[in-house]
Amino acid sequence: MGKDAARAEWDNPMQFVLACVSYAVGLGNVWRFPYLCQMHGGGGFLIPYLLMLVLLGVPLFYMELAIGQKMRLGSIGAWRAINPYLGGVGLASVVTSMYLCLYYNVINAWSFWYLFHSFQSILPWAECPVNSNLTGHVEECERATPTQYFFYRETLDISGSIEENGGIHMGQALCLLLAWMIVYLFIVKGVKSTGKVVYFTATFPYLVLIIYLIRGVTLHGSINGVKYMFTPKMEQLANPTTWINAATQIFFSLGLGFGSLIAFASYNQYNNNFEKQAIVVSMVNSSTSIFASIVTFSIYGFKATFNYESCLERVRLLLLNTFDLAEDTISLENVIHWIAELNRTHPEQFTSLGGRLETCDLEAELDTAVEGTGLAFIVYSEAIKNMPVSQLWSVLYFIMLLLLGMGSMLGNVIAVITPLSDLKFISRYMSTKTLNGLVCLFCLLLGLGFTTRSGNYWFTMFNDYGATFSLLFIVLIEVITVCYIYGIKRFEKDVEDMLGHRLNCYWKIMLAGVSPILLIALFIFYIVNYIQGGTPTYQAWNKELGKSVVTEYPPYAQAFIGLLLASSVCCIPLTALYTYCKKRNLASGKRERTVSTVSA
Amino acid sequence: MVSKTLNAPNGYKVRISLKTALGEDAYEWNQSEMFFFQATMAFAMRRHFQMETYNVDNIILCVQTSRVSFWFVVTSPDNTTMLIPKADVEKAVRMSRHRINNAFLLSDRTLEFLGIYPTLAAPVNPDTPPWLIVFGVVIGAVCVGIIALLISSLLQKRRKEKGMTEDGQDEEDMQVKGVENGINLDGTYNRGFTDDDRFTKL
Repeated sequence: MGKDAARAEWDNPMQFVLACVSYAVGLGNVWRFPYLCQMHGGGGFLIPYLLMLVLLGVPLFYMELAIGQKMRLGSIGAWRAINPYLGGVGLASVVTSMYLCLYYNVINAWSFWYLFHSFQSILPWAECPVNSNLTGHVEECERATPTQYFFYRETLDISGSIEENGGIHMGQALCLLLAWMIVYLFIVKGVKSTGKVVYFTATFPYLVLIIYLIRGVTLHGSINGVKYMFTPKMEQLANPTTWINAATQIFFSLGLGFGSLIAFASYNQYNNNFEKQAIVVSMVNSSTSIFASIVTFSIYGFKATFNYESCLERVRLLLLNTFDLAEDTISLENVIHWIAELNRTHPEQFTSLGGRLETCDLEAELDTAVEGTGLAFIVYSEAIKNMPVSQLWSVLYFIMLLLLGMGSMLGNVIAVITPLSDLKFISRYMSTKTLNGLVCLFCLLLGLGFTTRSGNYWFTMFNDYGATFSLLFIVLIEVITVCYIYGIKRFEKDVEDMLGHRLNCYWKIMLAGVSPILLIALFIFYIVNYIQGGTPTYQAWNKELGKSVVTEYPPYAQAFIGLLLASSVCCIPLTALYTYCKKRNLASGKRERTVSTVSA
Repeated sequence: MVSKTLNAPNGYKVRISLKTALGEDAYEWNQSEMFFFQATMAFAMRRHFQMETYNVDNIILCVQTSRVSFWFVVTSPDNTTMLIPKADVEKAVRMSRHRINNAFLLSDRTLEFLGIYPTLAAPVNPDTPPWLIVFGVVIGAVCVGIIALLISSLLQKRRKEKGMTEDGQDEEDMQVKGVENGINLDGTYNRGFTDDDRFTKL
């Protein structure tokens, strides 16, 4: 009881809800969900998505909150309390969260870089820079696009492959330092400071999204994108990848398995009604995804229409110049008609145009589905530079990205700090502030590795392999532990103790039956996919061609991937083994002592 | 309608896009405008060679199309059968490009001399990149925030240690209230039953 009294608490339940919302609503809602929507049949994707939310997302979210609130400890302590042999689950969560902390803040560093560069009269990614003798533009930029050049060359100064290392990019390092300082500022006083910060980080992104929605739908051509997104292609539902991606998206979007939810809930009052909160947060998270994809698709529509019309304009000029027609004979509307006409009337001259005549296709422009950092930093910046008053929109957009990223970072860091501060030997020797500072400093120093010239390739590696597989394994073990090892009956009693009413059958069926089955299916799918995928590959930026090429990872990088996967997963069996040995030594030690007193 | 590709080693093709540049305010391209062009080119030649002898007749125009494009060659003022070499014409045009553009209310893009590429504007390199300035402001604010929070919590701790001797009781009561055997208490805690009574009243 004394320990409960000393534990910090949220000022009110609203802070807890906002903290969960701020953590769950992150960059994935903005850059992964719209991509999945586009890949898997537009509006039709909502069916598997919402189904997986109900079958998998909400019950697991509920379970993690229940554990945190009941045990009132971070993930390591909580799982050790549930079953001493499975304390490794908590440790695995901490290791995975640590990996996430290392690379996730680099995204915030990039957002800062872009934000600071938005305060210029011409956005630096709007035009190619001029080359040294002022005759034209820099070659690499000419071959790629200005936005790609700005991202790959000026932001990252990326090397040709993961093997080519380089120095640290000073600008990136400074931005990363700033990002970590802000994280420290937000967590320095524990939940007291975090609780106040989440009021802002959880709500302001919505304000920006609404502003962007209004701006987006009023842009010329945005309706093409929204129509494209919502036209359901029902045949995609027959594709099993659609269902798997829906399940994975729900799973990772809610942030299950990292230990953040357990950490947040551990600061709750014992009788907090987390059942209602779990449902509310999950619903908010999914609605935000759908809302964000409307915004993204209206921007896509604008960008695609802009590019299509630019293409038509270029073709029009080409025709005018080659055939020396008066300027107003060809307009954007009848370009296609004139192409056919001129081909018929002047075939030899038409063929001399050769490869210079582009085919302009709106569908093809809309079809270019991009996700991840490519969407956020390349596609979106390209759309923004064409908007009127682009600096304002750029600033707003990157502030939104920062808030989404920072909100998620808070959850990640708290997931690492809470279990560490619960450990007796740490809390005895240092205060929370020192511990927080040390963790931030440690992550900053290691994170500097991602600001080197090959840093982006390591970033992609961490992003693809650092958390995906281990999380599935962790959550699977979590669910099996709670339902079968700890026992669903005991869990039911704990929940009744906290909430005052029993678990209704929805939770019981989902937690004990449906969710484990779905998780096992996902797990098997991942393993099969990984084995079938052959050598893991990555996209390397080739400066001569001005585009990314698929390259295989070198052997040491592949070994590192294996290490990433194994290091978190192995915690579980290794801790179980360690606890078993310790218990056996203790038991045999007791036996020896009893023997010695008898003989004495 | 179709232009033949001229074999004019010393001539340049000029292309003018009036509608693109001026839209509604586009003026009509007629013979007077062509005369103006000849005059402008003569001016450019005079300016470059610093010879006052160039005249409108030295600029010969041909193959005019409705695109508004035409070829021109420049003859020497001393000998009208001799053509000024391409390189010299290019230098003259480059020198006065800005004046020529402005004369016609056009730009490098809408008044094109095919083969003479416009020199791009030199990049403006400020002493401190603007992003560093914004960065400096933000990181300064964050530093101030962190230091303020650390100092305020230090002061609070010192104040608490001073105040601990007086209101130690209140704190313990507050924390124990409401959590007793896991059942939520709604009433106020009766201090009369506190376990440790630090100050016995005499």
